Amino acid sequence: MSLPGNYSVVNWGEMMDSSVHLDNVVMRFGHFTAVQKTDLKIESGEFFSFLGPSGCGKTTILNMISGFLDPTEGAVHIGGRDMRSVPANKRPTSMIFQNLALFPLMTVAENIEFGLEVRGVKKAERKKASDRLLELVALSGSGKKKVSELSGGQKQRIAIARALAVEPQVLLLDEPLSALDLKLRQHMRAELKEIQRKTGITFIYITHDQGEALTMSDRVAVMSAGKLQQVADPITLYREPATAFAASFVGENNGLKGTVKSVDNGQAVIDCGPLGIFPGKQVGNISVGEQATLFIRPEQISINQSNQSAHIEAKIEEINFEGSYLTLNANTDCDRSLSVQISSEQYTDALVPGARTTLSFRPEDAVIIAGGDHV
Amino acid sequence: MYKQLAERFGGGLAAGIIAMIAIWLLGMVILPQLLMVDYSFRPNLLPSEIGGPKDSYSLINYETLFNNSIHLSIFFKTIWSSVLVTFLTLLVSYPLAYYLAKVATPKQAALCILLLIIPFWINEILRTFSWYIILAYKGPLNALLLALGWIDRPVRFLSGDGGVMIGMVYAYILFMIFPLYNAIESLDLNQIKAARNLGAGWIRTHYRVIIPHAKPGIATGCIMTFMLAAGSYAVPALLGSPGSRWFTQIIYNWFFEGGNWNQGAAYAFLLLILCIGFIALIMKIFKVGLGDIAK
Repeated sequence: MSLPGNYSVVNWGEMMDSSVHLDNVVMRFGHFTAVQKTDLKIESGEFFSFLGPSGCGKTTILNMISGFLDPTEGAVHIGGRDMRSVPANKRPTSMIFQNLALFPLMTVAENIEFGLEVRGVKKAERKKASDRLLELVALSGSGKKKVSELSGGQKQRIAIARALAVEPQVLLLDEPLSALDLKLRQHMRAELKEIQRKTGITFIYITHDQGEALTMSDRVAVMSAGKLQQVADPITLYREPATAFAASFVGENNGLKGTVKSVDNGQAVIDCGPLGIFPGKQVGNISVGEQATLFIRPEQISINQSNQSAHIEAKIEEINFEGSYLTLNANTDCDRSLSVQISSEQYTDALVPGARTTLSFRPEDAVIIAGGDHV
Repeated sequence: MYKQLAERFGGGLAAGIIAMIAIWLLGMVILPQLLMVDYSFRPNLLPSEIGGPKDSYSLINYETLFNNSIHLSIFFKTIWSSVLVTFLTLLVSYPLAYYLAKVATPKQAALCILLLIIPFWINEILRTFSWYIILAYKGPLNALLLALGWIDRPVRFLSGDGGVMIGMVYAYILFMIFPLYNAIESLDLNQIKAARNLGAGWIRTHYRVIIPHAKPGIATGCIMTFMLAAGSYAVPALLGSPGSRWFTQIIYNWFFEGGNWNQGAAYAFLLLILCIGFIALIMKIFKVGLGDIAK
């Protein structure tokens, strides 16, 4: 989709404070704490994602920002304004629902214009706005159609247009792409990013799909069990996970459990029993004798290179050719399966299931994090 | 239908079942109705004159209504009051149905529905009589209102149409609540959230999103309530005063007090035609088809 270059329904270019501040919010339902104390500032114009498995509390956070839920403790500030006394229909936020929630009994144009109708905008002006938004989402001329006549991707775009029509300061997206097929999903990622760039409004995106979070976001908050695990830009998140959960949830990772043997100046050594003793970067507070996990990414493991310090002997169980790279499943002598990724150029005929190989990695590529029971 | 039944039960039994259904429909529904149609076009004659020269078809029984200004005014009063009852029932039921469908927890909804149904385990006549007691001049409602100081002297609820209306709204509330509840319940909660999120207040959310979705349910409830109200006998007989007679009472009188079945049949058909007309009108107003209502 190409956007009209001079697109502007509103003067989104104006520097408006559309930051969102979760000021020590807590959400409890009876005895269940859905969101533990969270203090987080999402900057104006940022594409911010909450990433986590279902039930981690990310949708609850979205509902608190939109005003459908009032936090048990703390407050939400949007653009510096305390939202505690502002009901859902008066907040400068707009939501794109997981099932889109387009109004089936209204036409496409009526859907888009609904928010303006509510605000008492005159019919002619509403029409102008919906025409421009339809152009933005590349569906010009579809205004008179029924919602049921649209394809999945088109419905998606109408939902975006409807949410943008009210000129929100913050756009909330609740797994909006999960109902689309893979191809369309990848296409819509690019479109969303483009719309965000054009409008400059703050996007808060909820997803359990790490691919979506990593490709689109300026920053990602990884959540688990109602708790923020890590807030970082995608590259930092991938390279320097702060918790065992973040390390295992974001991207592919191998986790080797063991006992901390020594900690010295950011470097730690972990004893993984029969697997061996490995050095790695220390993350967070760990102390000698504590249970910890060493994480090493599949692409950081090399095969048959003896010049690296950490070695594991293993047997290849499975090889999958993926085009530019290969994935290997290797089983260590003490029955611990590791995933390895190598580039296609490294492939040799010797790499067959059943062949023995030496896996190795550089200590600076591995991280050692306390805990990790669920890995 | 015969084929399916025959495959299941064999030819003989299938034929028997179909014959029974046919006899039931014909003997219990169609023939009596046809007999009434026949009656309505004949004059009321002495037994000896039936089949004689005076026994000919005419519209005279139907014309009677239009020549009798009292009956005609009761006819239209019945329609108007039934419309009012329908509207009041809708007004009372909608918030409750919405609450049950979208606000209440499953537990609260179950309790509420149970509380709604329990009174209907009691016979309609008894329920109506209890309203007779409640609404009486020296009854508990007047006593309560007096005690609260809301009125200076007791109100005569039972003279005029007030008592009949209250009794009917109460008697038919379930026929309105359940279709409404079913219709609203099927609305995706995200639709309501989306409307709120786009800035709509509660009134607009209801009239732009929830009510359009619930239209078939509203139509079904209105049709049922109207039919029951227009055809009600017990409530106006018990709670009405001489000044608030219902058209059904006149039909009853023709049959059982006037002994003029022909006249009664004609009146009954006029009421039926009217009700069908009302249904057609409601369906047109709400833009719903028969298929929507059968859902």
